[in-house]
Amino acid sequence: MLKYILQRLLYMIPVMFVISILIFVTIQLPPGDPISKMMENQRTQINVQFSEQDLEMMRARYGYGGPLHEQYIKWIGNILLHGDFGYSFYKREAAGKVIADLMPLTLVVSIGSFIFTWVVALPIGVLSAVRQYSIADHIFTFIGFIGLAIPNFLLALILLVLGLTMFQTSFTGLFSSGEIQQAPWSLAKVGDLLKHIWIPMIVIGMGGTAGLIRIMRANLLDELHKPYVEAARARGLSELRLLIKYPIRHAMNPFVSGFAYLLPSLVAGEAIVAIVMNLPTEGPVLLNALLNLDVFLGGGFLLILSLLTLVSTLLSDILLAWLDPRIRYGS
Amino acid sequence: MEKMSETLVEVKDLKIHFFTDEGVVRAVDGIDLDVKRGKTLALVGESGCGKSVACRSFLQIVHSPGRIVSGEILYTRKNENGQGEVVDIARLNPHGRRIRSIRGKEIAMIFQEPMTSLSPMYTVGNQITETIRLHTEATKQEAWQMAIDLLDKVDIPKPDRLVEEYPFRLSGGMRQRAMIAMALSCNPTMLIADEPTTALDVTTQANILDLMLDLQQQYHMTLLFITHDLGVVAEIADEVAVMYLGKIVEKSDVNTIFNEPKHPYTQALLRSIPKIAVTREELDPIKGMVPNPYRRPGGCPFHPRCAKAMAECRTVVPAVTQLNDNHTVQCLLYEDLVGEKAMEQAK
Repeated sequence: MLKYILQRLLYMIPVMFVISILIFVTIQLPPGDPISKMMENQRTQINVQFSEQDLEMMRARYGYGGPLHEQYIKWIGNILLHGDFGYSFYKREAAGKVIADLMPLTLVVSIGSFIFTWVVALPIGVLSAVRQYSIADHIFTFIGFIGLAIPNFLLALILLVLGLTMFQTSFTGLFSSGEIQQAPWSLAKVGDLLKHIWIPMIVIGMGGTAGLIRIMRANLLDELHKPYVEAARARGLSELRLLIKYPIRHAMNPFVSGFAYLLPSLVAGEAIVAIVMNLPTEGPVLLNALLNLDVFLGGGFLLILSLLTLVSTLLSDILLAWLDPRIRYGS
Repeated sequence: MEKMSETLVEVKDLKIHFFTDEGVVRAVDGIDLDVKRGKTLALVGESGCGKSVACRSFLQIVHSPGRIVSGEILYTRKNENGQGEVVDIARLNPHGRRIRSIRGKEIAMIFQEPMTSLSPMYTVGNQITETIRLHTEATKQEAWQMAIDLLDKVDIPKPDRLVEEYPFRLSGGMRQRAMIAMALSCNPTMLIADEPTTALDVTTQANILDLMLDLQQQYHMTLLFITHDLGVVAEIADEVAVMYLGKIVEKSDVNTIFNEPKHPYTQALLRSIPKIAVTREELDPIKGMVPNPYRRPGGCPFHPRCAKAMAECRTVVPAVTQLNDNHTVQCLLYEDLVGEKAMEQAK
């Protein structure tokens, strides 16, 4: 098992290498470079901060003007050797700092949505399968289809309107006020976050929940009439113990492998919702960074998100091997 | 004459219907059956005749949309005081505590598919000890040791190693042995075997049959053996019941069934066995197919395929005719015979 994990970690290195090249090339595709873009911005804006010399220095430091592969080597070299993600021209601070500031809350929201998705989808999926075609199954199927059909951002808008008209409160943001958001972490701040986070959690998790309910229901319906279930019933097991030990355990497989794809899709789905709900997460910043040709910030974000995706794939594979002996003994 | 053996399970007019969207399927359509203690009863028939469903009703594990519609399954069990107590299994709640205490403990079952009847997620030992721990007071260690002993008893080599293996790492024959070990774990009164050798190759089949007969002697078990293979029946059965489309068309001891079959279906079944000693041009299969369960023929269900069908067979449902103490048949040919005999006696 340990060998398997080490092997998988080694595989991640070439994969990350290819991903980083793809990210870099894609970001460089639009015409112009970030420094020209910034100079252009400076011409239209009044708050001039950089002199021509500053910009030339940056050009030299990040290799602009040189061939693409030199730029790439400088970029990835700075990240790997010095942890320097470069300078964000759009945010006007170190890209690494912007990422580090935004990533924790982004992860809290994403993982929160993920947990919400599982905690809600699993029992409902099981209920829908075990009591197939019952009233509960029909109701949850109906809600599930609505959840699948409504885009997240629309749901966010509806909730915002409802909040304003019915409860006279705003569901936007993750904190009650800007001051709390800026303040250092404390119990009060965590409490405030918990008060606000559940609305974005539901909004972001909704689509995934509805999808997972359908998957769980279908998987379990396949398993419920398998011979090993009948054999276990014939041994005298009670229905509940039987259900948990055999069919649910078997039906978990696709559920767990879906885990790997859920994180990236949550992060992607989160971006639009974050813009609508004004969440202090990476989505809107990433979007603006890309629009402003902010190579270092955009590239840094994409790099970190890709790494997270790879790690979550690895986690789901390890979980799957732990869950299913057929995979452990596979090779 | 030998004293009649005690009846362990008595089935009376059992009907199991499946309520599907397309209509009602009468999978078991009023059968009577006596399972005698310590004997082997073989339930024989083609695929789809209802034999598997009938035996599942003994444990109340007929799956929906199937339901026991009427009839009784009177099972004589020993209660805590060691006295006989008759339970009508047909009336027990399928999810209830009473039937669960019978399943696996007093009546155990092995299935046709050893490949899929064990869950690949758990070790063989885990699944055997599950039954032991469920029905006895044994501790985890005791149950584990019992599992190893059981695997040894069903002739599995290196049982202490195999107990920790996952089922998908075993061959079909080994898995069926593990299933048998599991069924034996609580020393059941009765073992139901639903085509346990069908999915195995011929040499393994013979080994498993020998093993089962041997264990039946050791454990003094009653065996209900479901099969479509008459060769297997000849080898193991004391009594035989032949089923066709949800009805038991003929029932007797094994010698009578093989030497003096009365029902045209039984006769046709026996004729269809290929014989090595007899030179014959072709096999002699039963003509036609098992009818569509949604469109059962009227009258005697076998009449469209019957070589001796008469005009009345299309409309009149034959009653059970008692040919002698131990031989019943459900066919119009013999109803008249018995009628005539009775008439003669009356004269």
